[in-house]
Amino acid sequence: MTSQRERPVSSYLADHDSLTVTRLAAAGGEELFIAIGPDGRVRAFNGHVDLGTGIRTALAQIVAEELDVPFGSVEMVLGSTGAAPNQGATIASETIQVAAVPLRLAAATARAWLVARAAAAFGCAEADIVVSDGVARPGAEGNRFLSYGELIAGSRARLRIDPDTALKPVADYRVVGRAQPRVDIPDKATGAFSYVHDVRLPGMLHGRVVRPPYAGFDHGAHVGSSLVAVDEASVADVPGLVCVVTIGDFVGVVATREENAILAMQRLRVTWRDIPAIPDLNRPEDAIRGNPASPRKLLDRGDVDRALEGAGEIMQRSYVWPFQMHGSIGPSCAVADWRPDGLTVWSGTQNPFPMRGDLSRLMDMPEEMIVVERLEAAGCYGRNCADDVTADAALLSRAAGMPVRVQLTREQEHGWEPKGAGQVVDIRGGLDREGGPAAYAFETRYPSNLAPTLPLLLTGKIPPTASVVQMGDRTAVPPYAYGNMRVTVHDMPPVARASWFRGVSALPNSFAHESFIDELATAAGVDPIEYRLRYLHDPRAADLVRAVAERAKWKPHTGPFSHGGDGDILYGRGFAYALYVHGSFPGTAAAWSAWVADVAVNRKTGEIAVTRVVCGQDTGQVVNPDGVRHQIHGNVIQSTSRVLKEQVDFSSTAVESLEWGAYPILRFPEVPDVDVLMLPRPDDPPLGAGESASVPSAAAIANAIFDATGVRFRELPLSPERVRAALNPLPPPDVQEKPRSVRRRVAGPLAGAFAGALALGAAVLPWRSPIPPVERPAADVFSAATVERGRLAAALGACNVCHVGSDGTAFAGGRAFETDFGVIHAPNITPHPEAGIGAWSYPAFERAMRQGVRRDGGHLYPAHPYPSFAKAGEGDLQALYAYLMQQPASPRKAPDAELRFPFGIRPLMAAWNALYLSSSGAPRDTARGAAWNRGAELVEGLGHCSACHSDRNVLGAELKGDRHLGGGYADGWHAPALGALSAAPVGWTEDAFYDYLRKGRSDDHGPASGPMAHVVESLAPLPDADLRAMAIYLASLGGDAAAPTQVSPAGAIDAAKAAEPAARLGFPVGARIFEGACASCHDAGAPMASLALNSNLHADTPLNLIRTIMDGIPEPVGEREEVMAMPAFGASLSRPAIADLADYMRARFAPQRAAWSETASTVERLAAGAPARP
Amino acid sequence: MTRGTELVVNGKRVRVDVAPQTPLLYVLRNDLALNGPKYGCGLGECGACAVLVGDRSVRACAVPISALGDRQVTTLEGLGSRDEPHPVQSAFIACDAAQCGYCLNGMIIATVALLRRVAHPDESQIREALRYHLCRCGTHLEILDAVRSVAAPPEGPASGHREER
Repeated sequence: MTSQRERPVSSYLADHDSLTVTRLAAAGGEELFIAIGPDGRVRAFNGHVDLGTGIRTALAQIVAEELDVPFGSVEMVLGSTGAAPNQGATIASETIQVAAVPLRLAAATARAWLVARAAAAFGCAEADIVVSDGVARPGAEGNRFLSYGELIAGSRARLRIDPDTALKPVADYRVVGRAQPRVDIPDKATGAFSYVHDVRLPGMLHGRVVRPPYAGFDHGAHVGSSLVAVDEASVADVPGLVCVVTIGDFVGVVATREENAILAMQRLRVTWRDIPAIPDLNRPEDAIRGNPASPRKLLDRGDVDRALEGAGEIMQRSYVWPFQMHGSIGPSCAVADWRPDGLTVWSGTQNPFPMRGDLSRLMDMPEEMIVVERLEAAGCYGRNCADDVTADAALLSRAAGMPVRVQLTREQEHGWEPKGAGQVVDIRGGLDREGGPAAYAFETRYPSNLAPTLPLLLTGKIPPTASVVQMGDRTAVPPYAYGNMRVTVHDMPPVARASWFRGVSALPNSFAHESFIDELATAAGVDPIEYRLRYLHDPRAADLVRAVAERAKWKPHTGPFSHGGDGDILYGRGFAYALYVHGSFPGTAAAWSAWVADVAVNRKTGEIAVTRVVCGQDTGQVVNPDGVRHQIHGNVIQSTSRVLKEQVDFSSTAVESLEWGAYPILRFPEVPDVDVLMLPRPDDPPLGAGESASVPSAAAIANAIFDATGVRFRELPLSPERVRAALNPLPPPDVQEKPRSVRRRVAGPLAGAFAGALALGAAVLPWRSPIPPVERPAADVFSAATVERGRLAAALGACNVCHVGSDGTAFAGGRAFETDFGVIHAPNITPHPEAGIGAWSYPAFERAMRQGVRRDGGHLYPAHPYPSFAKAGEGDLQALYAYLMQQPASPRKAPDAELRFPFGIRPLMAAWNALYLSSSGAPRDTARGAAWNRGAELVEGLGHCSACHSDRNVLGAELKGDRHLGGGYADGWHAPALGALSAAPVGWTEDAFYDYLRKGRSDDHGPASGPMAHVVESLAPLPDADLRAMAIYLASLGGDAAAPTQVSPAGAIDAAKAAEPAARLGFPVGARIFEGACASCHDAGAPMASLALNSNLHADTPLNLIRTIMDGIPEPVGEREEVMAMPAFGASLSRPAIADLADYMRARFAPQRAAWSETASTVERLAAGAPARP
Repeated sequence: MTRGTELVVNGKRVRVDVAPQTPLLYVLRNDLALNGPKYGCGLGECGACAVLVGDRSVRACAVPISALGDRQVTTLEGLGSRDEPHPVQSAFIACDAAQCGYCLNGMIIATVALLRRVAHPDESQIREALRYHLCRCGTHLEILDAVRSVAAPPEGPASGHREER
């Protein structure tokens, strides 16, 4: 069990033999910063938390330094409300810069007391005391020693932080400023670390939430009031279900096991009102400009308008930043333990104290009754759903009366995390006669706020109105000394749910500042760095810019194309600089940062690689150089990803990017080399390092692309489509013209003709005579060998695939089949005398099997494949009868068929039989040998392959001749052609058929899925010889005519490889989704057979491919050479994304086949029955 | 729910009484209390839940326990411990190759699987082996350093890409 509970402050203060350092909290009470026990171990407390940046290590360094104790004797307690001081939210890179200040003073206060104590003990002056590694001596030469533990023993030192205490001079530092390995990584690398996801409590239950359909939007009248109904009966059969919880638009489920909570979440039928449409945020500029705003002038210097009148050419530029995602790799998770007398939550929140306030409001419980235990979670980079899920867990724990763990899904985290807001910046400026900046009018729009904790909104605890928070002003004032300058922020509420994202508004604002000055430099004919330095009057900034230019070996240049190219690849280099300013205007500056970025641009495809970044930073005093270096690396890689790849997609009502295919991030092969330059400033105060290095990214990369191509990009992301459109404004390479829609099977219009034609038949061929009932044969009537043969016959016939009971009872029937003629239910074929076939004699059974006539004389529909069974051997049918009569009897009767007129008239089937039921047996050809003939009997008889693999005419009869086994439909899946008509690129050999039937997959064709997977499972008991015989027969179908379109496996894979670039150009969205969602298993080197060989990619219809994408393959089938199933993507990918993915896959893996014309309509059709979106 | 399934995890044979389609990930985490494999997407996309089945790295979120049979499952915990780490774990610790560390499990498992296939992979083999493992903190450079340090033949580093430290 992992149930970390921190000791409360009161417990430390009650300790004997201890030293504590506190301060009086603003709200009363004492806040604890340092506690040292008689063993000399130091616990240090900070209200800020480690978000993966390593501040746990850096703060411990500060404490160890100031106290003069070994680094390893300090343990940090971060954020837990019962123990740590309230220092607000962990934001704005201010932990080291701000939150560590009282901690350092507390450590110094403690040291002063210890020194005084040692001086008294040794009888010397305090000034003579020398301390190192937690041991005090009377002077450097003294040979008496007292450890901190010994000094503390016997006393209860209760100290208050002394703000005037002397701090250690930086020159004496030996821990701070040296690289310190992170304290948490050994446990993280061995699985011993406990994240919040790993909390386990006794009796803990598992919860999941069902979010409303307005994913990612948290204001408007519909928020909190869109739920119509929750159908609890829809989850009644979920094992271990504890409760379904509904409060306003908050819906959750609790179960004893996690996978069952997931099942309940997926199955719960929830009805929501229609959601009002939102403005189109896929092109965010219009929506953001249209959002109500109030201007706030930050600065107005000189006379901008007059200066612009005097400028040669007015440069008016707009910069557009898309909505982006924080994208925590671990979706948020929390555990709550609610009791009437208090609530404890284990949370990954970055705001333990503010969140406690939210929980108090949500649960109607005073804050003093709530403890937030803060554990590490996945990195959040500003904000994720950590607070939301903590509130979810509290609500579900209260409902269940037990501790509940709630894990959000990937789709929920993607959909609901407060986004990094889109942003629009306008700049008007120009050059004066000397080439200097004449004026600079800057306006920025940033639709974001603090994103209230979601369950407060969903439950109606707070109204769904969007507040305006003034956050668009970060680094809105440029760093350059423009004489005539006006800076205006248009404060506005969010459009989509949004909150801080690393660099906040400073990142887009600097994109604009640094792109614009680059453009000014080019217009003035001056090197871009030289031009900046003319107006950059902050000496530390100028030092940094020069140092980075030198480190990168910057070659001054006055126009683009300074780095040349190589064929289609153009090279370029760009510069940008920024000082990240956070907090309320005018704000606090964090570290200075500058980038030189090298790019390679493919001018044909528009693809961009950032190959190298030189990133310099002035962080002031560096506590842990490795920690800062890693933060710079992380910022460079993450911001490069944002600039090149990232944009959230929206539907007309919700966020549509719900997994990593639709929202791709930078991968290992794309990671640039990064050269970090840290300016040594040991004597200056430490500055925030968590965000600064992201801020110059966009402009540096865009400026490098300008250098490479001569084209300025002012909207992100710099996707291949955007870049290609600007560089090479030609339509994408020819995509094969789509063929006309393939034949659709239409039953409706012909039904009347059917009725007319067969009305006569019905009269001529009346109801067949009943066969009298018999007693169910006794158990000992049949020999064991016969029953065993019958078991194999049932396996071959896959009887239980269709006749399985809805509760899993074998042969109990009831399963519904959608046909073109209506819904048919498989009957109960257990030996129950009334509900099943217990009263059937063998002749009655045989008649049903061969002629489709029930014992009572009624006709069966040809969904029961009696035209095939007519060809089965007598011995097999008798054995099958014997086997079925041995089964347990099920009393449940299958429902009647619900057929459209005139198909409901069963006697008409008599006429049908007259037309289509053939009396000929399975093909026989003695020249072909026994195995072939055995195979023919199995395939054409009990195996009834043609029931699915032959198409049917409008009357539901299998097509004959060369259409026999020429491809059909089964249970909403396409059953591909076997033999000569097969569309597979590689021919189906006997071995391939055998592998497929035996193991459920063929290396040259892929796995069995859909109904065929059940067939393979059913075939499992059959001896190898029978499957071999079937394979021999199937491989012989169509004779030698099979060859023309078929190639070797290697040939098909090569063709797919060659087709990939064109497919990517034709279907860029599909290509991205494939890379993000599919390629981890289906990439060239990956374990799954190449899709280039998969029959479904080569079929005339995309049906099977789309079904497989949407529904997945729940279990590997057959002999289980593969252990991975295929996840279902129907609830994770949007419908347009699935269609584009299918089109891309067709173009890539079946390049010689015509494009499909009905992907979009097929997706829509299937989605109509698909589970609701998360 | 009643049929038990036998699994071999970290060298121990265990029996769990859960539905056979239950993803391995939930059994490892909830029934065997193993924290190494992490839920990241449930779609096989991100790699946070990777475990070794035999010598192959697979995504535990997409492996139904019924498919495993007698195959050996090895998790991060089964590779080594804090006191006796696996060489790949040691390399990741030595290179500080984690920020939040949530993806670390998958990175280490994928590296072990790579090294069992290729003793001394080159830079592009390393990057390809990690291609479908996502890291959002941007720890890629430290991770690459760690993998290179265990991938290099005895005489020196595998490539010239080592970054100065």
